[in-house]
Amino acid sequence: MIRIFLKRKSCPIANSSISVALWALAALVLGGCTPQEIAFRSNELHVASLSVDSEDEEIKELAELVQSQVNAMFGTPDSPKWPEGIEMAVDFEKVNRSAGPVGRNKTKIERGLYRKHCVQCHGITGDGMGPTSALLAPYPRDFRRGSFKFKSTPIGKKPTHADLVRTLVNGLPGTAMPAFGTLNRSQEYSEDVDALVHYVRFLSIRGEVERRLIVALVNAEDVAELGSQIATKVAGSWSSSEAAVAVVPSLGGEVLGYERMEAVARGKEIFMSELTACSKCHGKAGDGKGTSQDFDDWTKDWTIRAGIDPTKKSEWKPMKRFGALKPVIDHSRNLTLGAFRGGSSRDDIYRRIVLGIEGSPMPAVARKENDNPGVTEQGIQDLVEYVLSLSEASNGN
Amino acid sequence: MGTDTGAKWVFRWAALVSFLTFPLIWLGGLVTTHDAGMAVPDWPGTFGYNLFLYPMSAWIYGPFDLFVEHGHRLLASVVGLFAIGLCIVAYRNEPRRWLVSTCFLFLLAIIVQGVLGGVRVLFDARTIAMIHGCSGPLVFALGSFIAMASSSRWQRAASTRDGNGIGKLAVFLFVLSIVQLLVGAHLRHSLPTWLPVFFMSLVHTHLLLATLIFLAVLSCSVFVRRGGNRVFRELRVPSNALLGIVFVQILLGFATWIANYATPWVELTPWLARYTVQGKGFWESMIVTGHQATGSLLIVCSLWLTCRAYRRVLLSKPERSLSFKEQDFVPSNYQSKAASIGVE
Repeated sequence: MIRIFLKRKSCPIANSSISVALWALAALVLGGCTPQEIAFRSNELHVASLSVDSEDEEIKELAELVQSQVNAMFGTPDSPKWPEGIEMAVDFEKVNRSAGPVGRNKTKIERGLYRKHCVQCHGITGDGMGPTSALLAPYPRDFRRGSFKFKSTPIGKKPTHADLVRTLVNGLPGTAMPAFGTLNRSQEYSEDVDALVHYVRFLSIRGEVERRLIVALVNAEDVAELGSQIATKVAGSWSSSEAAVAVVPSLGGEVLGYERMEAVARGKEIFMSELTACSKCHGKAGDGKGTSQDFDDWTKDWTIRAGIDPTKKSEWKPMKRFGALKPVIDHSRNLTLGAFRGGSSRDDIYRRIVLGIEGSPMPAVARKENDNPGVTEQGIQDLVEYVLSLSEASNGN
Repeated sequence: MGTDTGAKWVFRWAALVSFLTFPLIWLGGLVTTHDAGMAVPDWPGTFGYNLFLYPMSAWIYGPFDLFVEHGHRLLASVVGLFAIGLCIVAYRNEPRRWLVSTCFLFLLAIIVQGVLGGVRVLFDARTIAMIHGCSGPLVFALGSFIAMASSSRWQRAASTRDGNGIGKLAVFLFVLSIVQLLVGAHLRHSLPTWLPVFFMSLVHTHLLLATLIFLAVLSCSVFVRRGGNRVFRELRVPSNALLGIVFVQILLGFATWIANYATPWVELTPWLARYTVQGKGFWESMIVTGHQATGSLLIVCSLWLTCRAYRRVLLSKPERSLSFKEQDFVPSNYQSKAASIGVE
């Protein structure tokens, strides 16, 4: 067949195929090799979601306007800076170590840690739009909302520094988020994770300030005046996160024997109850095949809240030109697999039940307080036992 | 003028240089995997030292990225020195001038490759790193070609008309492998400014090319197995090597994706659901780098098959005059045989 193909030297299809292949190769080389300036990307998607009916040019102009103000406050990817007059919410020496191009200086100190370890997925801006992002499930986190899933603080509060360190060290099983435990244990790189967390906090603060300024601009407020106020508020929310840590009672280690069986039975009852509605999403068998499945807040942000139906391609597709990725349902976790992204210890499961998972459809359980209906402290501990029991078969126990 | 012993030495040197180039490609791959290209900020020296005088303890016990980058430079220098040796041996012993010229071209390619690596450091240019990564396997292929052409098997090649079809298929495979290398190098050196859609299209192209390469290798294998004569038997070695490499490469490709980004089908088994990607983990690095290095072996083996097949195609045309270049390409024993049957 190839011989026939090669013999047809005058065949127009063959000629056009060769020319298409050559053009494709040229595009690959030129497209891939042309260096582009490393700069923060403006948040056009947020502007577009707040002003759906506006013209493209107008959306880009608004996004650029806010971007220039935010850049004046926070600098560039190669030389970040902290806005003047705002109390420092990050260790800027560590931010500087993580920023910029990858490499060591003459004194062998390594820079550019973020570009070395994170940028391919999370993107230069921390918008979760790195080159690989469209192929990953779930999509990489967009730091600019200031929302983080796995933390020890309630929904609406920022994670603590230790929460983010833990995510970096342990990774998230079943996702593309790696564990940098090896890095953290080695002597040469032991400070890298800490420095990276400071940079993630910096990007998140920068991105959230940008988002809030966009809202102000769309509401026709004077953004020049508001910049410092918003930055103070956002930075303050990070500084105060330690005070919001939820207390986990001592769960007393593993429950055994008959006592365990009883706790699991009680936990199952709560799992199936209307009060918690766990089985609605996680399914009656805990296999994640519940009837209620939803999108996460990062998707709802530019779809449902902007009046766009994420299930209708004709509605969401126009947003792709502003950087939107295809909306994907944030499926409930299959609890029988034993893969708990926020950690699989009793304390971790307890936190997920009590605090929920910010940005995802997983809510915090309603707790019984005074006369309000809810789950008691003992009930939550029983629920923890039941959730853990679901994956014991796959664990080989 | 060359002697049989001298010709053997050309082959030995060429084989040695090729043999050393493969670990060099591995080390280069590790540099990319660990993003260690700028671990040493100066060039041609290392932190102000002459490359060869950089303290061994600082190299061995220093950070891993520095270990890999400096090791890559040292091994590259050794390969360069051996390439100079190859040129001298070839110049003194090899009668085929085109092969001597190829040896010098190989040396030039190594020098250019080294300079590219240096320029990448001096200008901190990832784009040049990508070009450096693309041209590395091609230099390896050139060195391997010299080893093939200087081997006694090349000299003893038999005359036959067979091998035409397989030759074209092998060329097709060789070209595909090089294009695949270019796409793979782009994926490995992806720039943070790229849009997700560009990276996604590269991944899809990479998968499409992998399928085409697999089919081409399979076709070569079927071709070679169906032909029963001696020539086809001789083609079985590179063809089998290609078949083995392509299977290993496909497995490594899947493993590379999982090692980098986990699997998209996490719910298939509890193990996949619980698997956590290890950032810069040892085995992960080896898998990813192994995928890249095996890609260069694919190029070399497809070139090997091409050379073996076309060597026979060229020798199977005694009914027409051999051009000056072809006469030079064909060994003397065949030329005397051709003369005895009246071929000019």
